Amino acid sequence: MGRREKANRSATRSGSPFSWVEGRVVRRERSARYARVALEGEQLPTSVGAGQFILLRYGEDPCLPRAFSVMSVGEGGLELFVKSEGRVREKLSACPIGTPFEVRGPYGAPYATKISMDRSYVLVAGGSGVAPMLCFAQQHPNLAVIGVYGFRTADACDLHPNVPLVIEEVTGLSATDRLRSVWEPGLGILACGPDAMLRILAETYRDQPDVYVSLEARVGCGIGTCLGCRVATVDGPKRICAEGPLFAIEELPWLT
Amino acid sequence: MADVTITRWGERFSSPVVLASGPAGFGLELVGNIDLSRIGALTTKTVTPKARAGNPQPRLVDCPAGALNSIGLDNPGLVAFREQILPRLAELPTQLFVSLTASTAEAVGHLVAQLSELPALRTIELNLSCPNVSGGVIGADEDLVRAYARAARAAFEGVLLAKLPGDAGNLLVSVGAALDAGADGVTLINSLRGMRIDWQAGRPFLKSVFGGLSGPAILPIALARVYEVRRAFPQAVIVGTGGVVNLGSLVEMLMAGADLVGIGFGLMADPQVGCRLSVELARWLDERGMQSVNEIFGVAQGGGLGVHRSS
Repeated sequence: MGRREKANRSATRSGSPFSWVEGRVVRRERSARYARVALEGEQLPTSVGAGQFILLRYGEDPCLPRAFSVMSVGEGGLELFVKSEGRVREKLSACPIGTPFEVRGPYGAPYATKISMDRSYVLVAGGSGVAPMLCFAQQHPNLAVIGVYGFRTADACDLHPNVPLVIEEVTGLSATDRLRSVWEPGLGILACGPDAMLRILAETYRDQPDVYVSLEARVGCGIGTCLGCRVATVDGPKRICAEGPLFAIEELPWLT
Repeated sequence: MADVTITRWGERFSSPVVLASGPAGFGLELVGNIDLSRIGALTTKTVTPKARAGNPQPRLVDCPAGALNSIGLDNPGLVAFREQILPRLAELPTQLFVSLTASTAEAVGHLVAQLSELPALRTIELNLSCPNVSGGVIGADEDLVRAYARAARAAFEGVLLAKLPGDAGNLLVSVGAALDAGADGVTLINSLRGMRIDWQAGRPFLKSVFGGLSGPAILPIALARVYEVRRAFPQAVIVGTGGVVNLGSLVEMLMAGADLVGIGFGLMADPQVGCRLSVELARWLDERGMQSVNEIFGVAQGGGLGVHRSS
């Protein structure tokens, strides 16, 4: 077993990937379109590597649980950053403080187990893709030189007062536009965001070393068995919930 | 505690709960993480003669009370299954159902023949109802069902199940054909063909357009199919599958006439669902003063609880 696989296994097993545990909403800040949501619970995972995600559900929900990247993790608590749309996300954004949800995870490989650790990175995010990037910047400050975090509207600024955001309705620039002015040869890229953003990034930086994208798909089981999130790579099919979510751009020739 | 074990085909099942084909993968991720000894059986993903990459993303989309999937029989193929996976499944603390299919009856006979001598293989579930592959649903065609079941039967002496569709062809005719051709039982039903459209973008959500609907939404359909097949074939062994996610739906499926109960979507939502429901079933039977799960099999066919089954 290689170094990266070992790190992945250790991090994945630190929580409760096969059992639901309770997490209560203890704090929340909202803007028009987004919310920062802090969950606490005695059995919540305490070891989550940047890039890993949890599944979350509430009550007798007849749908599959929803995946959320973790924005920060601490003693007895996790913080998420969610867009306030969709069943579970709306519930998270609007429920009374103290509302219990069920959580399992963490899933996926921490970004740090998939990347070259002897390079500095520009972190690029669009919308709620900022969550794993802020987690990475916190856990690996020596690897993250600058963050380019794009949002369409300015309301997200209220939720990240200390983080410079690229607001498209104000500057006319998207995250990938801003990236062009800050990236320089020698820097790697870690990116998480909408498909369109990742495609532009792939088109522009495909020939550069150490460019990685974090893929999203509707995750089913989270434990690697259902194959609902499996994607084609040059090394054969891989699961976003197990081998992913981060992939080197050269693994994904179809991303254009 | 009430007895939830049952015996069919001379095989003992620790619970009527079966992990349905698909969401459990090949079970390897579950070993050591859930107590498989509490589960009656684990069904593998469907194995085909050659490896299949499955369908492109997106493969999964939410639906009201369920999900639509178009995994597309993503599997490593016969050789990898036989050489690398099946040996690791020999010591499972539960019964193993191996799901198989191929594009012709002859190919399925060949596939079964290449596995039939392996001691780990005691039960085969022929998948004749995947809604996610091109070329139509085998289980909708009586002649194809008969041909596939005969080909498998000729190559295999163990327990043979035919998994049939709930939404294609005449199910009673297909069940009759499968049993006539030597199947020992039927699994009813597969996920139901459906689609969703991203109405903001005007495109189908799934890359392959159509998928199979599973989850609580399909429970009433699965119950009706199991109920009518039980009524028409009182002696058939039925694995009732579709929309079972909690104790109530599990008991409903048993009362409709299922001998064993498959759980697919429910497993995706909760890896522990099989163990949990087996325990909850025993507790519920206790609370109702019943000694064994056998006391509720098919009771909805004959007047309800406390009335002995006429068959």
